[in-house]
Amino acid sequence: MKRILFVLLVVLSLILVACGGTTTETPAATEPAAPAETGGEEAAPAETEEEAAAPSTSGINELNVLWAQWDPADYLQQIANMYEEETGIKVNIIQEPWGTFGDRFYAEMAAQGTAWDMVIGDSQWLGTSSSLGHYMNLTDFLNQNEITDTVTEATLQYYGEYPPGSGTYWAYPTEGDANGWAYRKDLFEDPEEMAAFEAEYGYPLAVPETMDQLLDIAKFFTRPDEGLYGSALYTQVDYDGLLMGFQNMLFSYGGNWSDENFNPEGVINSPEAVAALEFYRELYECCQAPGLSNAFFAEVNDAMISGQAAMGMNYFAFFPALANPEVNPYADVTGYFVNPAGPDGQQFGSLGGQGMSVINFIPEDRKQASLDFIKWFASDEVQKKWGEVGGYSANKAVLSDPAFLEMTPYNAAFAETMGMVKDFYNIPIYNELLISAKDELAKFVVGGEGTAQETLDRIAEIHAEMLAEGGFLDQ
Amino acid sequence: MSGSNADLMDVAVTESPAKPKQRRTLSDRTLANLMIWPTLIILIAFNVFPLFYSLFLSFTDYSAIAFREPQWLGFENFQRILESEALWTSFSITGRYVVLSVGLELILGFGLALLIREQFRGSGVITTIILVPMMLSPVVVGLFWKLIYNPTFGYFNYLLGVNNLATPPDFLASRWAGQPTPGLALLAVVLVDVWMWTPFVALLIYSGLRAIPDYLYEAAVIDRASSWFQFRRITLPQVAPLMLIAVLFRTIEAFSKSFDLTMGMTGGGPAGQTEVIAIRIYQQAFQGQLQTGRSSALAYMVLILVIAISNLYIRNLNKAKEG
Amino acid sequence: MSNFEQNGPGFPVTESIRVDKVSPRARLSHALRAIVVIIVAIIMLVPIFVMGLTAFKSRSDVVAIPPKIIFEPTLEGFVFLLTNRSQLRGEALEEAKANIDNVGIFERIAITNGQSITGPSDFIKRLGNSVIIAFGATAASVVLGLLAAYAFSRFDIPGKDDLMFFILSGRMLPAVVVTIPIFLMYRQLGLYDTHLGMIIVYTVFNLSLTVWLLKGFIDEIPVEYEEAALVDGYSRFQAFTKIVLPQAATGIAATTVFSLIFVWNEYAFALMLTSETARTAPPAIATMLGRGGIEWSAIAAGTLAFLIPVLIVIFALRRHLLRGVTFGAIRQ
Repeated sequence: MKRILFVLLVVLSLILVACGGTTTETPAATEPAAPAETGGEEAAPAETEEEAAAPSTSGINELNVLWAQWDPADYLQQIANMYEEETGIKVNIIQEPWGTFGDRFYAEMAAQGTAWDMVIGDSQWLGTSSSLGHYMNLTDFLNQNEITDTVTEATLQYYGEYPPGSGTYWAYPTEGDANGWAYRKDLFEDPEEMAAFEAEYGYPLAVPETMDQLLDIAKFFTRPDEGLYGSALYTQVDYDGLLMGFQNMLFSYGGNWSDENFNPEGVINSPEAVAALEFYRELYECCQAPGLSNAFFAEVNDAMISGQAAMGMNYFAFFPALANPEVNPYADVTGYFVNPAGPDGQQFGSLGGQGMSVINFIPEDRKQASLDFIKWFASDEVQKKWGEVGGYSANKAVLSDPAFLEMTPYNAAFAETMGMVKDFYNIPIYNELLISAKDELAKFVVGGEGTAQETLDRIAEIHAEMLAEGGFLDQ
Repeated sequence: MSGSNADLMDVAVTESPAKPKQRRTLSDRTLANLMIWPTLIILIAFNVFPLFYSLFLSFTDYSAIAFREPQWLGFENFQRILESEALWTSFSITGRYVVLSVGLELILGFGLALLIREQFRGSGVITTIILVPMMLSPVVVGLFWKLIYNPTFGYFNYLLGVNNLATPPDFLASRWAGQPTPGLALLAVVLVDVWMWTPFVALLIYSGLRAIPDYLYEAAVIDRASSWFQFRRITLPQVAPLMLIAVLFRTIEAFSKSFDLTMGMTGGGPAGQTEVIAIRIYQQAFQGQLQTGRSSALAYMVLILVIAISNLYIRNLNKAKEG
Repeated sequence: MSNFEQNGPGFPVTESIRVDKVSPRARLSHALRAIVVIIVAIIMLVPIFVMGLTAFKSRSDVVAIPPKIIFEPTLEGFVFLLTNRSQLRGEALEEAKANIDNVGIFERIAITNGQSITGPSDFIKRLGNSVIIAFGATAASVVLGLLAAYAFSRFDIPGKDDLMFFILSGRMLPAVVVTIPIFLMYRQLGLYDTHLGMIIVYTVFNLSLTVWLLKGFIDEIPVEYEEAALVDGYSRFQAFTKIVLPQAATGIAATTVFSLIFVWNEYAFALMLTSETARTAPPAIATMLGRGGIEWSAIAAGTLAFLIPVLIVIFALRRHLLRGVTFGAIRQ
C-alpha cells in the first residue's frame, strides 16, 4: 500500500515538474511576497495607462533600488533623501552584502521578481542581464535626454553598453571604480629611506610610474625582520580578486584576454601577457605581506592599517577607510597613486564600478518613475552633490572639477584612472571564463606550480573552448 | 536519578490495579500510522518536489535566470563531470577532508565522553562550555579562524610563539618556514571542523555511555575481566549505534555542507587545496551563472556517493545493534 | 514485576560507593579526569575568548601586530551592529564634532568614526525572527520526530528501513542546490519571506536528524517496561507518555539542543528564502562590511549577542543532558 502511494507521488511530482517546471508567472502573481511596498502600490497596477510622456503622478510614492552593502550605498541614500524632499517619492536603497549581492539578485531574477525597481549592478552583469531580459533597454532614454554626453566614454562603454560597440545601453554609470594603489607617504618621504633607496637603485624614491619601479620599491621595503613588506596584492580565489589584480599588469604590459573576434589564442598567452604574469608572481613572491594568500579588499586594507604593507592595491571605493583616522592609524600619511605603466608605456587600471539599471519585470508606471529618478540623478547638479557626499561620479563635469579632485586624498588618482580603465569579459559566460582563469592563475601565483607560459597556455585553451561553445568564437 | 526510578515504581505499584480499563484505546496499527504520517506528509510535500525537480534538471541545460525551456541533454552533464579532472580532484579532497575530520572527531569525541562520564561538581557548566563551538554559525567560525590563523596578527601563531619569526607559518597558505607544504591548509581547516564538532560526537557517545547499566561492569569486575574486555564487550556495543549515527551525520554534513567553513577560511585555496565539492557546486549553482542543470547533476553525484556511504554505515549499525 | 523493593541508599546516588571507585587511587584518577576536562574546556574556549575580545576592539586593534590582549576597549562593534549610520562629511562633520559632548555614548562613538546614527539597525528584529523561527521549527521537528521515532522503534512497519532511509535523505542533497527549487516553489506558494515558510523548511530538514537520533535513544530503552505497563492495563499511548518519555529525557534534550543549534545557525536558506520580513540573524552577521573591509568587531559583537539565547537554552537543559538513565536498581 505504501509503495503504491509512493510511486503515485513520484508520478505526480514528475507531472507537476513537466508542466510547471519553468516559472512563467506574471509579475503580478508574485505580489504577496514583495516586501517594502506600501499601500500606494495597490493603486498602481490599476492605473497603468499613464505613458512615458507625462511625469509619473500615478500614485507611486516609493521606489526600491538594490545595491551592495557598503559606504557608497549610504551616500546614495543621502542623495535619495534629497529626491524625496523634492518630489515626495521615497527611494529606498536596499543594501545586500557584497558576498551575496549577486546571488540574491539572480535568484530574484530567476523568479522574475519585482522586489526592486532598479538595481545598481556590477559592470560584468551587463552581458548576462541584458541578454536574458532582466534589464530594460535604456538606449532611447539616455540618448533622448542627452545623458550619454554627460559621462565619460569609458564609463558609458563599460558600465552601460552591451554588446560592446553596439551603442545599446542598459545602465547609467553610477559609481565609477577602478584599481589603484595606496602607499605610506611617511616611508617614501623619509630622508634616510630616500637616500638609501637612491644609493641602491640609482634613482630617487618617488611614487612609481612604471612597473619596474614598483618592483624595485617593493623589494626595497620588504624587511621581514621589521615586519614591513613591500606589497599587498589581490590574491583572492573566492571570486575575482586575483584575476582583477593580475589584470592591472596584464593590460599595462600590453596583453589582453582575447582579440576583437574573441580569440584568446596568441593573445592571453602572448609574450607580453607572460611577462605580466611573471611580474605579478615575482611581486607576490618577494614582497607580499604574510597572511595575504587569499587577499581581497578587506585583507589589503587590514595590511595597510596594521602597518605591514608599504603599498597596497585596492579598488578606490575602499580607500575612504584608509583615509579615516579613526580606522587607520596611518591615515594622515597614506597617499594614493594610479596603476603604473608597463614597459611600453601602456597604462591601465582594472575596472570596477556599477551602473544603475531598471528591472524589466516591473509594471510600466514604475518603470517610468524609475526613469524619472535616473534622469534627476544624472543631472549635473545632483552628480556634483553625489561627488560631494562621497560617490564616485562618472559625470565629466564632476571629474574635472578641482573641488572634487581636492576633496579627498584619493580623488585625483581616481579621476585619472577613470580615463584608463579596462575590463574583463562582460559577455553572459563571463563567470565560467572567470572561474577557470582564476583557478589556473592561483595555482601559479600563489601555489607556484608550473610556469607563466604553461598557465596562460592552459587558460587560452580553456577559454577558446568555452568561447566556441558559447558561440562567440568561430572555430 | 534514583528519584526518577522511585517515581516510576510508585506509578507502577500504586496506580495500576485500580485503574479502569480504557476501551477506547487505539490499536497499535492506527497509532503507528498516526505517529508516522505527519512526518512523512511534510517530508513528501516539501522534500519530494525539490528532490525530483533537481533530478529532472540535472538532465537538462537549465539555467534559472534564462527563461527558456530546459533542453534535454541526457547524460551530458554527468559525462562532463566524470571527464573533468578538476572535479575528480575536488572529490578526492573532500574525501580526505571527511576521513580526517570524522576520524578525529570520533576518537577525540570518545575520549571526551569517557572523561565527562564521571560526574563532578560543575559538570553541567563544563558541558555547556564545551558545546559552545558548535553553537556558532559556520560562516562566522570560518571568518574568525581566518583571523586567528593570520601569520602576523593572528592568535594561533602568537600562542604557539611563532608569530614573530621572519617567515611565520602561514597555515591557510600551506607555507611552513617560507616553503610551500601542500596539505597544510587542509589540515588547518580540518582542525577547525574538529574543534567545532567533536562536542557533538562526544555528547552523543556520552548519552550512550550513560545508558550502560553499572551492573554489567560490576559483573565483569567480579569475573575479573580486563579493562579492554570490558570496553569491547560492554561499552562498545552499547555505544556503537549512537556512534554510528554521529559518524553518519557528520559524513553527510562534511560532503554536503562543508561549504560555509571552507569558503570562509580559504575560498578553496590555496591553489585548490581545500576546494571541497560543496564549493564547486556553489560556484555552478550561483556566482552569477545559475547553471542549475549542471549544479544539480553534480549535486546528484554527491548524493549518490553519500547514499552509498550511508548504506554502508547503516548496515554496520544494524550489525552492531544485533550484538 | 510490579513490586520492587529498593534495597540500598535512600538518597540520590551521585557518586559511586563501590570499593574500587573510592580508593585513593580512584580518587586521584577522578581528580585527574576533572582537570583534563577543564583543560579541554579551556582550549575549546580560546577562540571564543578571542572573539569576545574582538567585540570590544577598534578596527586597528583587531589587526595589530602582535595580537593585543591588553587594549583599550570600545563599544564600536556594538554601535555598528545595532545602528544604521550615514557618513558625515565636510561641514556636517565639523558641526557634529563640535557638538560631541552633548550626545549619548553611541552617537559619540559614531561621530568619532565620521558617521551619524540614523536609526536602529535590523539586528534586534532579526534576532526576534531567529527566536521565533528556530524555536518553532525545533519544537515541530522534535515533537513529530519523537512520534515517528517511537513508532519506528516499537512497531513493525512495512518498509521500515526504506522509510527511515527516505527520511534521512532529506539532508543529503547539498543545501545550495535545493535552494533554487525550494525558492521557486515558495514563490509559487506564497511562502517566500514568511515565518511559516522558514519554520516548515527547517522542520523538514531537521526531521531526519530528530527521527534518527530519537529512534537511537528509544531503541536503548528496554521494551520490557512498556510490556509490563501494557499488561497492567495501560494503552500504548499511555505507555509511551508515562514510561518511554521520561526515560528518553536525555535523548530528547540532546536532540532538542542539536536541532536548535542547526536551525539557529543556518545560513543558506535564511539568505535565499527571506528578504525583509522573515530574515534571521546569520546572514546579517556574517557579512557585515563597513568601512572598507570586514567589520570584525561588529561581527564579533553580533556573534556574541546571537550566542546568548542558545547558551541559555543549553544551560537550562544541562541537567537533562547529563542525567543518564540508571538501571542500577532494577535486576532483570
